[in-house]
Amino acid sequence: MALTSTTPSNAPLIQCVRLTKSYKKGDYTITPLQELDLEVAAGDFLALMGPSGSGKTTLLNLIAGIDRPTGGRLVIGGIDIATLSRSKLADWRSRHVGYVFQLYNLVPVLTAYENVELPMLLHPLSSRERHEKVQTALELVGVADRHDHYPRQLSGGQEQRVAIARAIVTDPTILVGDEPTGDLDEDSAASIMLLMKQLCEVLGKTLIIVTHDAKCALHAHRTLYLEKGRLVDAKPSVSSRQGSAAQEVHT
Amino acid sequence: MIAPRYLPFIVKQLVRHRVRTALTLAGVAVAMFLFIAVQTLQDGVRRATQATAGDTTLVVYRENRFCPAASRLPQFYVDRIRKIPGVVSAAPIKIVVNNCRASLDVITFRGVMPEDVSGPTGLAHKWTLIAGSLEEWNHRSDAALIGETLAARRGFRVGNSFDSSGLTVTVAGVIRSSEPQDQNVAYVHLNFLQQATLKGGGLGTVTQFSVRVSDPSLLGKVAAAIDEQFRAEADPTTTRPEKAFVAQAGADIVEIVKFTRVLGWGCLAAVLALVANAIVLSVQDRIKEHAVLQTLGYRSGLIARLIISEGVLVGVIGGAVGTSLALAVVHFGNFSLSQEGLSITLHASWHVLGWGLLISAGVGVVAGLVPAWRAGRREIASCFRAV
Repeated sequence: MALTSTTPSNAPLIQCVRLTKSYKKGDYTITPLQELDLEVAAGDFLALMGPSGSGKTTLLNLIAGIDRPTGGRLVIGGIDIATLSRSKLADWRSRHVGYVFQLYNLVPVLTAYENVELPMLLHPLSSRERHEKVQTALELVGVADRHDHYPRQLSGGQEQRVAIARAIVTDPTILVGDEPTGDLDEDSAASIMLLMKQLCEVLGKTLIIVTHDAKCALHAHRTLYLEKGRLVDAKPSVSSRQGSAAQEVHT
Repeated sequence: MIAPRYLPFIVKQLVRHRVRTALTLAGVAVAMFLFIAVQTLQDGVRRATQATAGDTTLVVYRENRFCPAASRLPQFYVDRIRKIPGVVSAAPIKIVVNNCRASLDVITFRGVMPEDVSGPTGLAHKWTLIAGSLEEWNHRSDAALIGETLAARRGFRVGNSFDSSGLTVTVAGVIRSSEPQDQNVAYVHLNFLQQATLKGGGLGTVTQFSVRVSDPSLLGKVAAAIDEQFRAEADPTTTRPEKAFVAQAGADIVEIVKFTRVLGWGCLAAVLALVANAIVLSVQDRIKEHAVLQTLGYRSGLIARLIISEGVLVGVIGGAVGTSLALAVVHFGNFSLSQEGLSITLHASWHVLGWGLLISAGVGVVAGLVPAWRAGRREIASCFRAV
């Protein structure tokens, strides 16, 4: 089931309509996301910014299908994913979402290769086919020579590259990153952002990241600012404006 | 069931906490060792006391006596027993036991007449002679045909002489038999045993008669006819099928062994608690990891099966070690429980090994069920928030 087959060419890939999420914490009801409207086109690179508790990660988790909205609609590729059963949603995630965590979340007892292979085990492939895809993903992110290393034997930047390989190995439609550079030094963060941007452009993925780092957000086509669960500002990033200007010059 | 491609992942999760896993495996192995030992006891009792459709042997004993030292019957009864319709053969037997439950090293001397051993209806039809010769036994008055278990336990070989119960006999052959009562036996000549144990009645006195009937359905009828035959004699008889006789004569041992069943169930409960504890600890350590797996698209059911598989693997490995050890100890130890000359032999069988492994795996499944179900039902986002 490819998302593109069910999505009209002119329709946005992701549609959030009055999207709301609230949950109980003791006697209180917390609403990290309130009636948010958003559209994201296929191939877009979106950065979500805002103070802590503004609802960035909640929005990201809803789009990634690892959390469920309590109100509104969330249509991705023509499918209202809030209506999917638990199992169907898991299948949907395995095909369409690649998630990159801030703290990498690699399985410590598995090698880099085995970590990248984990999502591939869900797909009906021969071990040879799996090997080819895992090898390609590791080469794309530049850690093929570290395939037999355990996470503890890798640097933070290398761990995140392995995590990115794990996210792209299934060729998902949407790549999401929750502060993917949040635990890295400046140089590593810059190289990871560059890598994600290149992957997005080369592989044609829709990329959404949550970040506190304005430099990282500069790589995105658009940056959305959230506050108290609401969208307060949206503007194209410098790179996008530079791209448009270059295009204008070119024409 | 879980696809083989997940096996390395499951194994690595177990190896992750080597000490914890090793201790759990050791606990499971010890508990299964005890469980299998108890099962082997139960098996021994069942084999010795449970009647089967093919049983055709009756034991004629002195009425109201259960001890070979107290049961004294005139040897001439045998001629009258042989004339009862349905009787195929009847053999007078004198029994002497080397100890009365002082140890598990029991030797039961059975004095029999040579003509009652050989021939198509003789006692030998139940045996296979695996060493020595029947001719040698026939020709030598102090010769003994000994059971395979006794030979293995004491290290006796053909030609060896040994002393026991004040008797000195020479091994003329070693017999293999499926009958529990033939495991610790030393068949000697009846005359020899009668002369050697004059206190037990001497010549002309035997402990019991072993009677074979032509059809299992005749057991009750023939037993009643034998007891009726001697009702008015000075030494009346009680006749029972051989296994019923063992069950009654060794009633207290049988009761104790039945009680050990509770210990067996206790061992299983211990295995269950051990494996469940290990799985719960392991799952608690990996809440975030399971959330990551779910994020990657692993269904709740698959995660649950991965966790249960860990329990099964621990159960099966620990169970295999414990069961194999128990069977090895039982096999090489050649143990028997004895009561008044009757033996309940501990027997190691593949059947018990299979059951041991199956039960270990089943316990592993049960132990993993609750933590697996809980791990699979957790909300992904809340797992990331909680850790």
